[in-house]
Amino acid sequence: MSTNTNDILVQGKHVTKSYHGNVVLEDIEFDIRRGEVHSLVGENGAGKSTLVKIITGVTPRNNGEVDFDGHELPIDFPRTFVEKLGIAVIFQELSLIPGLTVAQNIFLGREPKLGKTRLIDKKKMVTDAEAIIKKYNFPLDPKAEIDSLSIGKRQLVEILKALSMDSKLMIMDEPTASLNLKESKLLFDIIKNLREEGVSILYISHRMEEVFELSDRVTVLRDGQKVALLDREEISPERIISLMIGRDLSVSDYEESVLKTVSGDTILEVKKLCSEKKFSDISFSLNKGEILGISGLVGSGRTEIVRAIYGVDPITSGSVLFDGKEITPTVKQSISLGFGFVPEDRRQQGVFMQLPINKNICSTNFDRYTRMGFVNEKGEDAIAESGINMVSIKPKDPNYIVGNLSGGNQQKVVLAKWLVRDLSILIIDEPTAGIDVGAKDEIYSVINNLARKGVGVLLISSDLPELTRLSDRIIVLREGKMIKEFKDQSITEEEVLRASSGLI
Amino acid sequence: MIPKLFHKYKLLFILILMAAVLSIISPRFLTKENLSNVLWSISIVGIMVSGTIYSPITSGVDLSVGSLAALSGVLFAKFMITFGFGLIPSILLTIAIACTIGFIHGLIITRINVPPLIITMAAKTYLFGIAMLISKGEMIPIMEPSSFMAIGGGKILGFPIPIFIMVIFILLSHILLKKTAYGRKALAVGANPVTAELSGIDAMQIQTIAYILSAFTAAIAGLVLCSISQLAYALLGQGLELEVITAIVLGGTPLGGGGFGTVFGALIGTVMVGFIGNGLNLMNVPSSFHPIVTGLVIISALALNENLRMGSGTKLKKAKL
Repeated sequence: MSTNTNDILVQGKHVTKSYHGNVVLEDIEFDIRRGEVHSLVGENGAGKSTLVKIITGVTPRNNGEVDFDGHELPIDFPRTFVEKLGIAVIFQELSLIPGLTVAQNIFLGREPKLGKTRLIDKKKMVTDAEAIIKKYNFPLDPKAEIDSLSIGKRQLVEILKALSMDSKLMIMDEPTASLNLKESKLLFDIIKNLREEGVSILYISHRMEEVFELSDRVTVLRDGQKVALLDREEISPERIISLMIGRDLSVSDYEESVLKTVSGDTILEVKKLCSEKKFSDISFSLNKGEILGISGLVGSGRTEIVRAIYGVDPITSGSVLFDGKEITPTVKQSISLGFGFVPEDRRQQGVFMQLPINKNICSTNFDRYTRMGFVNEKGEDAIAESGINMVSIKPKDPNYIVGNLSGGNQQKVVLAKWLVRDLSILIIDEPTAGIDVGAKDEIYSVINNLARKGVGVLLISSDLPELTRLSDRIIVLREGKMIKEFKDQSITEEEVLRASSGLI
Repeated sequence: MIPKLFHKYKLLFILILMAAVLSIISPRFLTKENLSNVLWSISIVGIMVSGTIYSPITSGVDLSVGSLAALSGVLFAKFMITFGFGLIPSILLTIAIACTIGFIHGLIITRINVPPLIITMAAKTYLFGIAMLISKGEMIPIMEPSSFMAIGGGKILGFPIPIFIMVIFILLSHILLKKTAYGRKALAVGANPVTAELSGIDAMQIQTIAYILSAFTAAIAGLVLCSISQLAYALLGQGLELEVITAIVLGGTPLGGGGFGTVFGALIGTVMVGFIGNGLNLMNVPSSFHPIVTGLVIISALALNENLRMGSGTKLKKAKL
């Protein structure tokens, strides 16, 4: 195929982006041809979303150039400009307005007007919406309010909205995450049709089988760098996965970890745990001193399960046994039983950003430094100080506002607030997301030390090297179900990723 | 060092600045009699501030306190005069009813998830309605017992007693915020209710208690107001809630929580509002101009305060908005 500039819709040259000195995209070269499905793959944090944000002007690039349809794009620009260019984006998080109808959402901001007035022609809007819905054969009612629709249907509305714009480029970020099989099929047919019509599609997905089925070309990102550009005939799920992980598996066995079950008393047992729509029939046990890794893609139900065990979200059926006794989890009880909970979203759920380090650390410990409701300030200071020292938070100043700490130190604060208690179980969700390498190692040694002291650890991580290295046993979830358990064997990151992606 | 010191006590500096300006403008300002008058005029608001401050700290707001103060006065008068319950039982019963009303508001806000602004605004209306109904819209004169009348009319060391009541409540509230688990938890809930829940703090309970506290101080203020004005009247507390909120915000406690809150700041805010009114009186500004000037001064004080705060660690909050 000739690479005449006319064939190329989007061209990126030397695109670079860093946040606070952290390089998230380094000198990326890419192009998207007219009428191709181009997939963008990589592990979490590889830089996929950042690249999309740069193409759509949401995030300004630090360096480099992006050409669209022969014109260089400015560094950042408003959403209306994106639409004018002919770029439609289907984001993972829905951007629909809940109180409005399907038709109102599809034509939001571009409503048909009554004659020359500025009033909306409601009738025309509904008939136009009907026409589009019929064209793509979606099971939707244009007059239905978004509130009344399932998540999958909402996603379809989002897709319709993008389709109605007659775009040259459609960017789809995990579009099938909330679609059922039938809806996904519908989407794939549409994608194939769009390609026929000459529309380019930038497709982002964790699901290898989709990437494999749809893509004309695949760009693989790893740690902010482009590691490969594969043509149709070079694409295979295995190839992509090994590129994503980044080492040629045949060359060294360095990344092979050995799993060995830690024998000890069972501290936690979960039997046939179910929660409406989120997960079902989950059973596993955790021994004292064991690190149990929980793997699964985003949306596999891994976070929901640990939240239910900790007592945040309700359980619809099944049982949780602590030390052999059945419990009905509530947060208060979990804490008194010695649970610690480090949530996935550190900034929104783990710390109090506006409060100082000491108030953060002491927020789980009121029972230990108050008497008759009054604070014993010496006791409080002692707890804060011991927490700061346990995980070496920098700076050591207990009055330092947590919001001004680095991500790694914020995470240490979250750890510290549990470490100052006598833990029996630590639940830790994405312990090192967005944290620099040095702090990562410190956090690993904290987790390992806890396990050595007999604490049972439930570890969730999308970072596969982290998961395989730390875990004694790994269970894999997919779409709310447990699909595999790895134990007493040697294991590679690739095997875990294959299992999570449903490629067993 | 000096900027840091200024930063910490900026409100006090602003207040002293105001006092300095006023004393230059009018020699009568810095007299014991005048200052005592100012403090006396703000004592009702000051008492209410001490309890009402916990709703903004826990990222809510309570607009019902003015009406609740009036209702408390009316209830008290009914119990004591019409039913002849005696002074102490009437006071206790009034406080108990007020606290129950606050408790119910707290429950509606936390369990049914009605925004505090809406429910307390509705409460402002319906509580006023109940007060009107009970009092039949009339003023109920209260002339005895003398022990009760002494609260509003008596003096200690030359200062009216309501000032001392205000100071006691402000001190108690300060201790509650700074020295007790409740205060710590209230600040944490205001900073981030999700993190608080996950840390084992019962955010709903903490928020509910905030509305009981505001109701409690509204009842106390209502009783003191009865004694000062020697009557109970449904219209007596109208508009007090806005003065209370103004003083709290002026004092540096933002509406919507955020982990901030200062009782002494709120007291300074209350005094500032008092100074403005007093200064205008001393300068013989016609009273029809007072609301305009008060509004302008409040806006500039807030702007100044906000600017100062951006220098510290609160940029984050800005960024989030």
